[in-house]
Amino acid sequence: MQSRMHPKYYLSQEIFDREQAKIFRKVWLFAGLASLVSENNSYLTRKIAGVPVVIQNFKGELKAFENICLHRSAPLQQGFCGRRALVCPYHAWSYDSSGAVRQIPDCDALYRFNDGERQSLKLREFALQQVGSLLFINLSSDPMPLETQFSDKFIKLLEDSSKQYDTEVMFTTWHASFNWKLVYENLRDLNHVRYIHPKSLGQALKFQKHASDIFIDEAAGPLTDLSPAGLRTEMRRFSQAGAEDAEYAQARHYAWMDMVEPWRGTDGYYNWLAYPNLHIASGTGGYSFSIENHVPVSPGKTDVEIYYFTAKKKQPYATSHQVLLSHMHYSKKVVGEDIAILEAVQSALHPDAPMPSQGAYETQNRLVERWYTTLMETGHEI
Amino acid sequence: MKSRWVIGGGDYLDLAFHAWKQASPDEHVQKIEVAQGEEDELNLAVFEQLDPETGDAFIAFDDRFGNFKRMELFRAALERGFAMAPFISASADVAGDAAIGRNVFVGSRAVIGHGCKVEYNSVVHAGAQLGANSHLRSSVWIEPGVQIGSGVKVGAHAIVRTGAIVHSNIRIGKSAELGWPQIYNTDIADKTVYDIRYDEPIYVYNYSPSQT
Repeated sequence: MQSRMHPKYYLSQEIFDREQAKIFRKVWLFAGLASLVSENNSYLTRKIAGVPVVIQNFKGELKAFENICLHRSAPLQQGFCGRRALVCPYHAWSYDSSGAVRQIPDCDALYRFNDGERQSLKLREFALQQVGSLLFINLSSDPMPLETQFSDKFIKLLEDSSKQYDTEVMFTTWHASFNWKLVYENLRDLNHVRYIHPKSLGQALKFQKHASDIFIDEAAGPLTDLSPAGLRTEMRRFSQAGAEDAEYAQARHYAWMDMVEPWRGTDGYYNWLAYPNLHIASGTGGYSFSIENHVPVSPGKTDVEIYYFTAKKKQPYATSHQVLLSHMHYSKKVVGEDIAILEAVQSALHPDAPMPSQGAYETQNRLVERWYTTLMETGHEI
Repeated sequence: MKSRWVIGGGDYLDLAFHAWKQASPDEHVQKIEVAQGEEDELNLAVFEQLDPETGDAFIAFDDRFGNFKRMELFRAALERGFAMAPFISASADVAGDAAIGRNVFVGSRAVIGHGCKVEYNSVVHAGAQLGANSHLRSSVWIEPGVQIGSGVKVGAHAIVRTGAIVHSNIRIGKSAELGWPQIYNTDIADKTVYDIRYDEPIYVYNYSPSQT
């Protein structure tokens, strides 16, 4: 079966801009962990679909605004996260929880704004929703309900498991040279595990080799319902949670596991795949979690942001950050193997490269491709 | 003849053993390897045959697990009454008023300036230089050739790798790891890891303030 993914979808700046407008500024995207903004005045900064965003805690209430001062365009908050009132460092304009200017020092003497001018000064606010410990943001001025994008079951599983996240979080970013779509395609293809990770993940977890049980290529024909509601319903199918058909080659027990309260959802390799760019996994049967957020930077560049944490600690212990670092280094090895092959794929792409040929087991990717190319090639919107 | 038991594992055990052997021809210097179990736990049975009355121990585990394995073994030895005198290479240049703690290793041609404090269980490898009045807290690991300015404070369990240059008066947080060969001229937060395999530093948020 031939894929619909022409090489231009991985190479063209024009397509990239279209994706940002038609997907990334329309859908709910992972924005961070609530535990990083749990105190009054704590904040997170993000760049979401090219837009700088600040998520700020106002006495317990979380709000998301464009992180640009309305005076001289300085970022209101800087650094990944911190604790500071929402005040511009440049000329000390401060903002309240509605995004309105709270105070402008020497306003009457220096600026002489009239009441109308002053009242019109309001930061652009974005929809923000908390699911357990996870924050999702939507840049659209008319955001779809979160429940439209993700199924109730998926949201419930995210909520339930993320409530068990510990608050101590390790974080880093890898700058990868590939198109963001190569990552989700790879994540929806477990057949690569034994070839790309023979000594790492393939050793620790034995993914069952099974014949594809899909006999009908649902994605062979075109999408029938091209209304926004139809396209949203179709998109909901791309986000799934569940235990993979994987068994521990050896159920290893580590001393740190006695220090935490695991999420009791699973014994195996548990996966949450949220379209378009979020992957949460627990490869330890609910004792620890990783979050991968694949942030498109340009057609050939993707920032892979990695969060690591265990399930809730029973009590603090001195070496907990070392436990996280060991996880991080292990994941660096596994995800590094993925990154290496995906960068190789990207480097070989050119406008006349052959269209990929897919097999029956790649049905998930085929469904996403059908939806994606419809969105890119027609005027239809979600 | 007094015994010197050099206890630990890995390349650093070898290094420390040979250093002691060369420096102490009048002692019976022995190397004792400590096995790590399934869950990386240390087998402390090695201490059963050793008597603090007849010799002294030196703990030589490298920076694994953020220097915590060396710390664990150091504590076990301390509980059993070993003094764990530091090793200071004859070719090291250590200021007379520098304070050197138990089980510290100072390699050949290392320079430790006046007023420095090197707390227990820290390792300063060959050729590393510590400017005046710098302070290494416990269980720190300084690799060969590292240059540290004066008035620098290095938090417990921190790691500074070869190629790092630390400006004067900088504070390096607890359990930080400076592994990128570069100049560090701003304070480094606790547990921040600059690992050469990574594109960005690794940060830890919301850790308990009581953690060492």
